[in-house]
Amino acid sequence: MAVPLDNVDSMIDDEREDMGEEMSSSESEQDDIRLAEPSKNAVYNRDAIIDKLGDISWPESVEWIHKLSIDVDQEQEVDVNDDLARELAFYTQALEGTRQAFEKLQSMGLPFLRPADYYAEMVKTDGHMEKVKGRLLAEKRKMEEAEERRKAREAKRLAKEIQAQKLKERAKQKKEDIESVKKWRKQRQQSGFADTGNDADADAAFDFEDGKVFQRSNKKRPGVAPGDRSGGKARQAFGKGKKQKKRDIKNSKFGFGGKKGLKKQNTADTTNDYGKFKKRAFSENKKRKR
Amino acid sequence: MGRKRKRSESSELVARPKKEDAAPERPARTLLGWKDKNQVTDEVEDSNVHSPIFRNKEKVLVTCSRRISYRYRHLMLNLVSLLPHCKKDNKVESKETKGATLNELVELKNCSSCLFFECRKQKDLYLWMGKCPNGPSVKFLVSAVHTMEELKLTGNHLKGSRPLLTFSSNFEKDAHWKLLKEMLLQIFEIPKDHRKAKPFHDHVFVFSIVDDHIWFRNYQISVHHNESDKLPRGGLDKMTLIEVGPRFCLNPIKIFGGSFGGPTLYQNPFYVSPNQIRALEKKKKAGKFAKKVKAKTKRKMHEMANPLEPDEFADMWKD
Repeated sequence: MAVPLDNVDSMIDDEREDMGEEMSSSESEQDDIRLAEPSKNAVYNRDAIIDKLGDISWPESVEWIHKLSIDVDQEQEVDVNDDLARELAFYTQALEGTRQAFEKLQSMGLPFLRPADYYAEMVKTDGHMEKVKGRLLAEKRKMEEAEERRKAREAKRLAKEIQAQKLKERAKQKKEDIESVKKWRKQRQQSGFADTGNDADADAAFDFEDGKVFQRSNKKRPGVAPGDRSGGKARQAFGKGKKQKKRDIKNSKFGFGGKKGLKKQNTADTTNDYGKFKKRAFSENKKRKR
Repeated sequence: MGRKRKRSESSELVARPKKEDAAPERPARTLLGWKDKNQVTDEVEDSNVHSPIFRNKEKVLVTCSRRISYRYRHLMLNLVSLLPHCKKDNKVESKETKGATLNELVELKNCSSCLFFECRKQKDLYLWMGKCPNGPSVKFLVSAVHTMEELKLTGNHLKGSRPLLTFSSNFEKDAHWKLLKEMLLQIFEIPKDHRKAKPFHDHVFVFSIVDDHIWFRNYQISVHHNESDKLPRGGLDKMTLIEVGPRFCLNPIKIFGGSFGGPTLYQNPFYVSPNQIRALEKKKKAGKFAKKVKAKTKRKMHEMANPLEPDEFADMWKD
C-alpha cells in the first residue's frame, strides 16, 4: 500500500481544510475542544477507504426506493455555536429533502403520508404524547397569564398617570379660582367698595352653595350603620341571605354596629345647637354642690 | 411463508447454487422470472445482475456496554424503536477483547452490521458502527444527546415507517465522509418490504456535517389533511416538520478496516479525547497554588538580589 504517500497527500488536504475552518469560526465549542492544528501522526489511507467503500456499497443500479436518500445542498457554512442558525439549517435541509422525495414518490404513484384513518403503533406512546400536550398547554397558559399581568400593570400605570393629571388640573383650577377672587377683592378695594349694595350678594355668591358642607348627610343608607364611614363595606363580608339583609336595614334604621365614638362626637352643629340645652339642670347641679 | 421467502432470498444474494436448486418448485411468483436469469448470470458478477434482484437484507445488532448511564441507554432504546430491522442484545462487557466477542455475537444473531454504544466513566459515550463480518467499522464520540422522551420534542410518527434520509452535500467532500454516508445509509434505512416496516413515509432523518461532526435529527412530516380527503393534496406548500428526536452529534474518531478492529484507515487529526480535556482543565485549576508559591519565591529572590539602599532619613525623628 502507498501509505506514506497517502499521508503526505492527506496532510496537505487537512491543512487546507484547517485554514478554512479557522476562518469560519475561531474555535470555541462549548463541550468539545479540538486541536488547533492537525496532529502529525494522523492516518488517512484514502485508497483503502475507497476500496472499502467499493466493497460495502450497494450496486450503482439500486433503485432509489431502496435508499430513499436525498442529498441537499447546504447553502452556506453554518456556525455551530449559534443554536438557532444550526437548527434552522437542519430543518431546511429536512424540508428540502422531503419536498424532493415527495415529488419522486408521487411520480412513482406510491403512498406517502399515513392516511388519517390508518392507525398503528407509534414511536411515542399515547401516555407520552399526553404529557407532551399537557406541557404545551401549560406553557400556553403561562404565557397568557403573563400577558394578562403585563396588561394589568400597563393599565394601572396609565390610570395612575391620568389620576395625577386630574389632580394637577384640579389644583390648578383651585389656584386660578383663588387668584381670581383675590384679584376681584383687590379691584373692589381699589374702587373703594363702590357697590356696597351688592356686597352681601357677592359674598354669598362665593359662599358654599348650600352653606352646610360640613354637615353630615342625614340620608338613610340602607345596609349602612350610622357613623359607619366605610359605607357599609366593613360589614359586607357577613351580609348573606334574606335575614341578614333585613337585619341590616333595621340596624341602619335603629342603629346598631359601626363606631359609637363617631356618633357621640360633637360637630359644629351640635355645639351651636342650644335647643335642647337645659339651663336648669346645670344650675341645680351647682346648687347641690354647694 | 415469510421464512421460506427469506431463505430463498439469501440464496439469491449470496448466489449459492445448491439452495437455488432446492427452491424452484415453488408456485409461480412474480419474481420467478428474474430468478432464472440470475442463475444464468450468477458467475458473471455484473452490476447489472444485481439491479433486478437487489434486496436490502440489512440487520443491525444494537447493544451497549455494561455500566451505561440511563440517558445513553434511553438513546439506544430510541434508536431501537426507530429501526425495526435491528436486534437488541444484552449488554456486553467492554474489555480489550470486546471486538472478538462482538463479532461473534453479530454472527450468532445473523446480523450484517452493528451499533455498539460504549459508555466510559459514566459520562463519555462512544458509538461503534460496524459492518460485519469484514468491515469497515467506525468509532464515534457522541455528544449533545437528547432523547425522544424529552417533552420539548413534540412530534410523533409511525413505528416502523421507512424514513427519508437527507444528507448534506458535504458528505461528498472527502473519501471518509463518503464511506460514512454509505454506512449510515445502510444502517439507518429500513429495508424495503421489511416485515415490520409500514408502507408510509412520515418522518425524515437529517444527517448533516457541521464543523466536522455528523449531526442527527429526526423530524415528523405533517401536512394538513382535508376532512374528506384521505391523502393530502397540494401538501408541498403546507408541509411542516415537527421534531421527534432523538438528537445526537457524532464526532468520528477512527475508521478501521475490519469489523471492530483491523488496520486504521482514518484517524481524526483534530480529535481530543474527553479525558484529555478534563485533565487539561484540572491542570489549569491545579496550577494555581504552585504558581503562587513560585511567584513568592521569585519575589524573595528578587528582593535578596536588589537590597534597598539604607534610608538616610530613617532616624531623623527618633529623638
